[in-house]
Amino acid sequence: MKPHQRNAGLAALAVAFVVFILPFLFTFLMAVKTKKEAALFLFSWPSEWQFWANLTEVVKARNYMLLLAYFNSTLITLAAVSGLVVMGAMVGYVLQRRASGWNRLIYAGVLMGLMVPPAVVPTIWVLQGLGLFKTIHGMVLIQIAYGLSFSILLYRSFIGTIPRDLDEAARIDGARPWEIFFRVILPLLKPVTVTLIVVQSIAIFNDFTNPLYYLPGKENVTVQLTLFNFQTQFQSQFNLLFMNILLVTIPPLLVFIFFNRQIVAGMTAGGVKG
Amino acid sequence: MSSVILKNLKKSFGAVGVIKGIDLLIEPGEFCVFVGPSGCGKSTLLRLIAGLEEASSGVIEIAGREVTDAEPSERGIAMVFQSYALYPHLTVRENIGFGLSLARLPKAEIAAKVQAAAEILQLGPLLDRKPKALSGGQRQRVAIGRAMVRDPKVFLLDEPLSNLDAALRAQMRMELTDLHRKLGATMIYVTHDQVEAMTMADKIVVLNGGRIEQVGSPMELYNAPVSPFVAGFIGSPKMNLVPRDGGTFGIRPEHLDLSTSAGLWEGTVRHVERLGAESILYLATQEMGELTIRIQGQDCPALGARAFATPQPGRAFHFQAA
Ligand SMILES: Nc1ncnc2c1ncn2[C@@H]1O[C@H](COP(=O)(O)OP(=O)(O)OP(=O)(O)O)[C@@H](O)[C@H]1O
Ligand SMILES: [Mg+2]
Repeated sequence: MKPHQRNAGLAALAVAFVVFILPFLFTFLMAVKTKKEAALFLFSWPSEWQFWANLTEVVKARNYMLLLAYFNSTLITLAAVSGLVVMGAMVGYVLQRRASGWNRLIYAGVLMGLMVPPAVVPTIWVLQGLGLFKTIHGMVLIQIAYGLSFSILLYRSFIGTIPRDLDEAARIDGARPWEIFFRVILPLLKPVTVTLIVVQSIAIFNDFTNPLYYLPGKENVTVQLTLFNFQTQFQSQFNLLFMNILLVTIPPLLVFIFFNRQIVAGMTAGGVKG
Repeated sequence: MSSVILKNLKKSFGAVGVIKGIDLLIEPGEFCVFVGPSGCGKSTLLRLIAGLEEASSGVIEIAGREVTDAEPSERGIAMVFQSYALYPHLTVRENIGFGLSLARLPKAEIAAKVQAAAEILQLGPLLDRKPKALSGGQRQRVAIGRAMVRDPKVFLLDEPLSNLDAALRAQMRMELTDLHRKLGATMIYVTHDQVEAMTMADKIVVLNGGRIEQVGSPMELYNAPVSPFVAGFIGSPKMNLVPRDGGTFGIRPEHLDLSTSAGLWEGTVRHVERLGAESILYLATQEMGELTIRIQGQDCPALGARAFATPQPGRAFHFQAA
């Protein structure tokens, strides 16, 4: 390695450290400080470690609201991501494989869904009209609606790389259309599916604004909204606020670390040759 | 063993006619080869028989039953694709048994059938591998195995050897012929390689522009081609074809005698290809243009030398212009 190459590498590492690691470190240090020390807002080593005390206090706060929030967020995330995967793959498959006059129209609709920003107030009217406002399944449908265009396009282009011969071979083997999809195509979509699951579940789990608009009510609280609640309650208790942030950040981080390799594979995988 | 009958079969994509009226009888147990230049509709015709394309008009009968509008899986056919089309996520065992598992056969029966096919094709040690861990020839065999376990009345093969190298191709030609003899099933085989057609076929169907040019056994086509097209297509090197008297004069390279002293057509040696056992010589003549001559052995005149070619008696063809 030449010196200037090493210098460039070190510079990149330094930038990454400042952008990604420092904030996390700061959050962690704040989270273990005492209330008084945290109020100073200094990037300093804590004089007294309060990890467990802070942790239990945050979890217990407001009658274990954080646990309920974890439950709600997980439920919404699981349901919405499942919907996105199944429906995205199915629509993408039909759009890619079946040429028909409707395809252009459907494709235009999908693109529109990607480009046109959703409006909050009319959406709430619609939800109220359907009796879905302030319900978890209403929230799930919202998340699916917001993410579906992207997942359809992703699946459609990936399915384009799967040779049609496979469909035809399966057809000759006696597979009905839904069997071709579930037994041949869907398993081959694994790389994109993993990518989609990771990207969407982190986005939906971390979503703050949509639950804020469409899912009011104490029993419907989601993880990001617990921050909102704590922030007013613990106005001066930054140690607890940061502990809460830490707890909320960890699940997506775990998902990301766990699936990291597959995500990269999914983004680079073009063909399914051979 | 089942016959395949095509009656006035036509197929067009939009306004473009690709198959323009095919009448054909393929006898039970026959090895029938479709040959023709690229784009002449061989694959389309095979896909029509398979049911992967819908016929625009005409009738397809397999084993005495009309199947023109039947689903591919109900026609009693199996197909081997040029790309093999193995399911990448399944092992060899699952690939071969896929159709059987779709038909919800008992597990033990599937295993037995897969085992039997694997034995015939020598796939035993490979059964638990994924397709991407196989060589081209092995993939080819898996694809054939997948077709075999369905116990089809008719095998359809679309250029199954074109992705293999020359040596492997020669070996697979032999194996396929053996397999055909062993199974006794009707096989329809598409290729643009006339060597494959000549060596494997009971019956060759020469296609040109969506029509049948000639049907016959390899030797019939070699000995009595009905048109310059068939004459040029069957045999290697290609037959010499020279326009004459409003028609076409044809003589095969192996039916020209070469002499350095006397003969019918005089010319200069333009190019020589020595293959060891035989040599191919290109002679530029005044009267006949460039003639290809095939001679035994390696002994031929030098480049640029004068030489004479004489057709062997009774071997020349005269094709009248249509
Ligand atoms: N789905 C389709 N839509 C429109 N035209 C098609 C379609 N499939 C095939 N064709 C046309 O039909 C003609 C015959 O195609 P086909 O694939 O049968 O040729 P082939 O004889 O198999 O050639 P090759 O030896 O190159 O495989 C070609 O001109 C091709 O462009
Ligand atoms: Mg073809």
